[in-house]
Amino acid sequence: MNGAHFVVKALQQQGVKQVFGYPGGAIMPVYDALYDCGVDHLLCRHEQGAAMAAIGYARSTGGVGVCIATSGPGATNLITGLADALLDSVPIVAITGQVASPLIGTDAFQEVDVLGMSLSCTKHSFMVQRAEDLGSVIAQAFEVARSGRPGPVLVDIPKDIQLAAIEHACITHEVTEPDAPVQADIDAARTLISQAKKPLLYVGGGVTLAHAEAELRDFLAKTKMPSMTTLKGIGTIAPDQYAFLGMVGMHGTKAANYAVQEADLLVVAGARFDDRVTGKLDEFAVNAKVIHLDIDAAELGKLRQADVAIAADLKQVLPQLAMPLDIAPWQQHVLAMKQEYQWRYDHPGEAIYAPLLLKQLSDMAPKNTVVACDVGQHQMWVAQHIEFDSPRDHLSSSGLGTMGFGVPAAVGAQVARPQDTVIAVSGDGSFMMNVQELGTIKRRKLPVKILLIDNQRLGMVRQWQKLFFEGRYSETILTDNPDFVALAAAFDIPGETIVVKEQVQGALERMLNSEGAYILHVAISEEENVWPLVPPGAANDKMMEECE
Amino acid sequence: MLHHLSVSAEHSPELLERVLRVMRHRGFHVQNMQMNLVTENRQVELQVALASERAIELLTNQLAKLIGVTSVQVLEQASAAKLVAVK
Repeated sequence: MNGAHFVVKALQQQGVKQVFGYPGGAIMPVYDALYDCGVDHLLCRHEQGAAMAAIGYARSTGGVGVCIATSGPGATNLITGLADALLDSVPIVAITGQVASPLIGTDAFQEVDVLGMSLSCTKHSFMVQRAEDLGSVIAQAFEVARSGRPGPVLVDIPKDIQLAAIEHACITHEVTEPDAPVQADIDAARTLISQAKKPLLYVGGGVTLAHAEAELRDFLAKTKMPSMTTLKGIGTIAPDQYAFLGMVGMHGTKAANYAVQEADLLVVAGARFDDRVTGKLDEFAVNAKVIHLDIDAAELGKLRQADVAIAADLKQVLPQLAMPLDIAPWQQHVLAMKQEYQWRYDHPGEAIYAPLLLKQLSDMAPKNTVVACDVGQHQMWVAQHIEFDSPRDHLSSSGLGTMGFGVPAAVGAQVARPQDTVIAVSGDGSFMMNVQELGTIKRRKLPVKILLIDNQRLGMVRQWQKLFFEGRYSETILTDNPDFVALAAAFDIPGETIVVKEQVQGALERMLNSEGAYILHVAISEEENVWPLVPPGAANDKMMEECE
Repeated sequence: MLHHLSVSAEHSPELLERVLRVMRHRGFHVQNMQMNLVTENRQVELQVALASERAIELLTNQLAKLIGVTSVQVLEQASAAKLVAVK
C-alpha cells in the first residue's frame, strides 16, 4: 500500500462516501487510488466549484464535506471556498497534492506555498512530512473540522509521500470533549432571564452547528420568548413559532429590528454580533443586557460585552436556561408589530415581482426542499420570503458573501440528498461566476432546478449606487448577458424564460415537476430593490423603505 | 498601549507565521519578540511585546484557539521587564 491508498483508506475510516475534486499532476497518486476504491468522486469543472460542492454537502447534511485538488493553481482555486467555509464555520476537509518534498521551495512547476496561503482561510492546515504521519493527520483533520466551532481544514501532501510505501500506520486521533458550563454562570443567566420584562432570543448558525435545534425549540416552547435569527439561523426556528420575528439586521424584518432596540435582555445563541446584524454597533440593543452563549470563547466580548458569557456546547446549555416566563405584555406588543409589519405582496403592474415569485415558490415547493442561494438582492429576497423548516435546507454564503456559491452548493446538496428537491436561486451576476458547474450537473445528471432572477444588473451594487453614489452606475449594467436558456441547453438542461406575473405559477409548476435539471429564467425590472434597508452607519431602527 | 504576552506551543515549521499572522490581523503590532525552541519536548516559548489600542483579550482569545498553542499568558509590565532582564 502506498501513501495515496492509505489516504483513501483513512477517508473511508472517517465514513467518507463522497468527495468532490479535480485531478492534476501532483495529486495523481490519490486519483489512482480513488479509481476503484469505492469512494465516489464527482468531477467538478473548477476547484472552486469542488470546494463549494463540499460546503453544500456538509451544510445540507451536518456531516463533513471533502474536496481534492492538485498543487499550485488547483490549490489556489480552492482558496475562496476555504474562506467561505471559515466565515460560515462549515466543516470541510480539503486535500491538496504538493510537489515532491525535494522540490518544495525551488519554484517547481505548479508549486505554491499552499500551507502559507492557507493560514488565513482555514481553521487549521497540515503539510504532511512523513508517510507514517498520514493516518493521524487525516484523523486529526476531521476531528478539528467538526469539533468545537467547525471549520475548514487543509491537508497538503507532497507527491513523494503519496507514492511512499506504508506498511503500518496509526489512523486514530484522540477526541477532546468541550468543557461543561460553570454552574454559577448558568445561575446568573437564569436570574437575568427570570427578571427580564422584554427578553429576546437572537439565534445564529451556531445552534445548527451544535446540532442543538431540538434543544432550541424546547427552550422556545417552554419560555415562549420572542425570537429572531441571523441569515445563517434561518430555519432553526419554525416559521409558525409563537412570536418569531424572522431575520434581524440590514435587510431584516421591521418587527425584528424594532424589537431588538426595545428589548431589555438579549439571549444570544450561537451568533456573533456581525455588522450586517447590528448596524451601528454602539446603538444596537442599547436597552438590553446580554447573555452570550457560544462554543467559541473568542466570540464572547469580541464586539459586545456580555453580562453573562458562557463558552460551552449549546446542546448542554439551552436546556438549563429554559423556564416559563411572565412576559405577556411584551409578547403582545411583539405580536402586534409582527402583524403590523408583515410582508406585503400587492405590487402594481404586470412585471414579475421577485418577492412574490419567491413566496409562491415557498408555498409550492415540496417539504424538505433545499434552496442554495447565490449572493446579492435575490439572496436577501430568499431570506425574507421563503419559509424554511430546517436550517439545513437554506444554503446561503453568509459571512463571506461569495458570488458563485449557489450552483455548486446545490450540486453538493443534491448529491447528498438525492431524494429531495434542490433549487439554486441565482442572479444574472452570480450565475456567471461558476457557470461551468452546469457541466457537473450534466455529468452526474443531477435534477438541480435553477431559478435565475435576471435584472441585467449587478443588482445589489446598483442599489447602493442609486442610494449612496448619486446613481452613478459604474460597471453594474449587464445588458450584454448571454441567452441563459440557450446556455443551459448546451448542457442538456431544458428551461424557459418568463417576463410577466401571470406566467409565474405555471412556470414554477413545470420547474418543480421536471424530472431532471431545469432552468427557469425570470426577467425582472432593474428598479426593484431590497427593502427595508438599514443604511451603513445607522442603527437598526433607522430603516430606509421603498417610498424614500 | 504596550502589552506583554507569553505564548507556549507545540513546535511546527509554520508556528511562528501562524501566531504572527493572528497578531497582525487582529490589530496588534510586534515591538519586541523572543522565541526559544525547547528541543526535548518540541515546545516553543514566545515572549512578545505588542502595541495596540485594542483590549489584549481580543488577541489572547484568538491565539488560545490556534491548534497547538498550549498556553497564552498576559504578563504584568514588571514581570515582563524582569523576564527580559534575566535573559
